[in-house]
Amino acid sequence: MLGTYPSVVVRVVGAILVPFMLLFGVYIIAHGHYGPGGGFAGGVFLAVGAILPRMTLSPELAYRIFPTWVGPLVGGLGMMLFLLVAVAPLLVGGAFLDYGAIEVAGMAASRVRYLGILLVEIAVGLAVFGALLLIFDVLTDAEDVAGELTPAANREEVRR
Amino acid sequence: MIEALDIALFLVLIVAAVLALVAKDLLTAVGMLTAYSLFVSLLFAGVSAVDVSLVEAALGAGITGLLLIAAILATTRRSEPRPDPRRRYVVLPLVGLFLALMLYAATGLPDRGDPDAPAQLGVSQVFISQSLEDTETPNVVTSLLADYRSQDTLGETLVILTAALSAAMVLVRRRDKDDHDGHGAGDTGHGDDHGAAADDSTTGNTAEQAADDGAPVADRTTRTSSTPTAGDGAHTGGGEAR
Repeated sequence: MLGTYPSVVVRVVGAILVPFMLLFGVYIIAHGHYGPGGGFAGGVFLAVGAILPRMTLSPELAYRIFPTWVGPLVGGLGMMLFLLVAVAPLLVGGAFLDYGAIEVAGMAASRVRYLGILLVEIAVGLAVFGALLLIFDVLTDAEDVAGELTPAANREEVRR
Repeated sequence: MIEALDIALFLVLIVAAVLALVAKDLLTAVGMLTAYSLFVSLLFAGVSAVDVSLVEAALGAGITGLLLIAAILATTRRSEPRPDPRRRYVVLPLVGLFLALMLYAATGLPDRGDPDAPAQLGVSQVFISQSLEDTETPNVVTSLLADYRSQDTLGETLVILTAALSAAMVLVRRRDKDDHDGHGAGDTGHGDDHGAAADDSTTGNTAEQAADDGAPVADRTTRTSSTPTAGDGAHTGGGEAR
């Protein structure tokens, strides 16, 4: 499943597709206010954009674009961003997750809530991306997921 | 939605589900499940639930199949026959009973899009009418998920991340050199070796495989500690998967 795919057609098409998949993921996350989508679906597209290189390109390249530590790191950052957005209204006397309570000069409460929704969607997208990438990496036995390095000989074998 | 298309989609859905259950080759079963998700997402789109449809198409028809294939490559590709065929005489009536109960309950459901349905009479009216004013967000689903009901989304995100971390904790093990308990060999051989053995051992083995953590770890230890032929075998398996 992992590693360089034998067919050059698949490799080239995969490599060309990846940036567009990532862009589409970002679009889905950012466009949730006006159309179908949101953090969840967008995060899935981002994760697929990171997984496709692992399945088609050479491991050296694929794991350089998205190293295995990206999954847990980005997932945790997304969750942290969500919690920060959730707690921020408490500091100004609002309720938990009540973004409208934050007063920003020259901005209506509805606008603040709009931005709060955007931040939450981004956070969810990052968390979903990280979680799915992490699951894929541990399932396919990618090395040093938990900061644990395997001997080089074993690593080569696993990567093939 | 066009009624004939609706019915056709449901029929295809049921066929795909049954095929996924019957298939001996697990890769076929995964393909059928993916098709199932795709048709479900079409049905969702048909009732104007575009957000759900998109998530179902991306998650169910996309990455779930990918993760399942990864799991199959890490374990085994063939599904084992049920150890005790008499089990179906207990299970089938129960399934039939459940189905009858669900169909009976479905007769009491309000029609699709009924404005007097209980779900439409509560706070959802406020959400729908106030969303644009409150949050400047035309898509009510997004403002519901990320604003009105954002605590649900918070919990949901926590669940996903926790699930991923748990999977990592279960699957990432230090590669102990002497972790052989004969299970890795049992993966390929016990189907014909213990064919005449007592029922107990067979059920024990399947239960361990269903536990989902014993098999991959055992398989991995055999793969990493043995000769490159094991790695080559895994590689050809990957070729077939594509």
